[in-house]
Amino acid sequence: MAVTAVLRRMTWLDRVIVLILLLATGAAFVLVGKGPRGARVVVEQQGRVVFSAPLAVDRSATLTGPLGETLLAIRDGHVCITSSPCPHKVCIGMGHIARQGELLACVPNELLVLIEGEEKEEPTHDLISR
Amino acid sequence: MPLTRPLAILLLLGLLALLALQRCDHEPQSVRRSRLLMGTVVEITALGDEQKSLDAAVSEAFLAMARVEELMSASRPHSDVFRLNAATVAVDVTPETAAVLVLGQQVAVASGGAFDMTLGRLKELWGIEAAEPRIPSAEEITAALVGIGPQALSIAGPRISKQTPALQVDLGGIAKGFAIDQAIEVLHRAGVEHASVNAGGDIRLLGDRLGRPWRIGIQHPRNSQTLIATLELDQVAVVSSGDYERFFEREGVRYHHLFDPRTGRPAALCQSVTVVAASAAEADALATAAFVLGPEAGLRFIEAWPQAEVMLVAADGSIVLSAGLKERVQWP
Repeated sequence: MAVTAVLRRMTWLDRVIVLILLLATGAAFVLVGKGPRGARVVVEQQGRVVFSAPLAVDRSATLTGPLGETLLAIRDGHVCITSSPCPHKVCIGMGHIARQGELLACVPNELLVLIEGEEKEEPTHDLISR
Repeated sequence: MPLTRPLAILLLLGLLALLALQRCDHEPQSVRRSRLLMGTVVEITALGDEQKSLDAAVSEAFLAMARVEELMSASRPHSDVFRLNAATVAVDVTPETAAVLVLGQQVAVASGGAFDMTLGRLKELWGIEAAEPRIPSAEEITAALVGIGPQALSIAGPRISKQTPALQVDLGGIAKGFAIDQAIEVLHRAGVEHASVNAGGDIRLLGDRLGRPWRIGIQHPRNSQTLIATLELDQVAVVSSGDYERFFEREGVRYHHLFDPRTGRPAALCQSVTVVAASAAEADALATAAFVLGPEAGLRFIEAWPQAEVMLVAADGSIVLSAGLKERVQWP
């Protein structure tokens, strides 16, 4: 059989490389198969956008609510709340999000973190004066 | 030793890893962090070689801005402005506040009073930023304008005197710009060569954006989702003032936060003004003055100010540009 013949000709290193490729392909399917990835993180407070940033750029942001400072971290295309002054830390327990439409909320500190959709084209500017 | 296939693959992988490592070493690093300060979102971006030093510089820059807020907020007890407003005699202020008052006074005099740091009572009367803003009566406005103007404050070094005890100072049209300048100064002293400080759309740029100019979009005054123009800039400040920032509407009329000191009512000649200047404090104060003066007088005023350029959007939507900006503007 052809497959048996190919396997017989393969060295141990060939087999390791094939295995790694198969695993990587499988992981890619699992990760990409959950819907469209988001493009921007938007944080709203009392209905107003207080922070917005692309998901593609790693950074942290300190956002102030009525209880104090909530720390937001964007890492590797995901966003999570890493520190919060709220009593039950439910927002930290919500883990990280990355896909369009997902959200994190800290109700006591009045912060809503949303993921918005893909940007269609290259931005024409670095900053906006308003 | 013969070059077997496993050995060749291992050598190839090693070479690729080495190339990747070299590429990582030379990749420019960036730190971008945001904080709520001075009632707005402040975003600082620093670009350079080493993440850790950039991060430390950005933290210091935020501290410098927070200090300006502590000194110049009218509502914080013990701030210079709070003490000055409460005082019935001369008050000594910090060098930072004195510097802001001196610059503000220069812009106030040069603009014939269009920029005014003594409108505290008038702003409180309208309550544009309060939960329930209102349209004051003509009598109330007249009373709030008594004793205001560039001559109402005497500045002798750190010692500030008000001509009348009831006078209320408001540095809203200049303190945010000064805070941005302080942040840029801190970043520069820390060795950062490429950075931007953006406080709610008031921006100062340090150097260029790693070999190319920063592209600054200017918000359309009547459509917040679109840009009216884009400017390619480096090593300057750019500040916009518009009637769309903070306002309320009654019976179809928009009442916004940029007051004409001559009438005590929101200035009506412009929709927005964008000023490019050497410092953000200058750009901040100049933008307010030009907005009040209107397209014609505002253009003349900014063209006479050293190293300043302006784009004015008049009340009818027409656009006026100063000579130095015409070659740097890109339309959508």
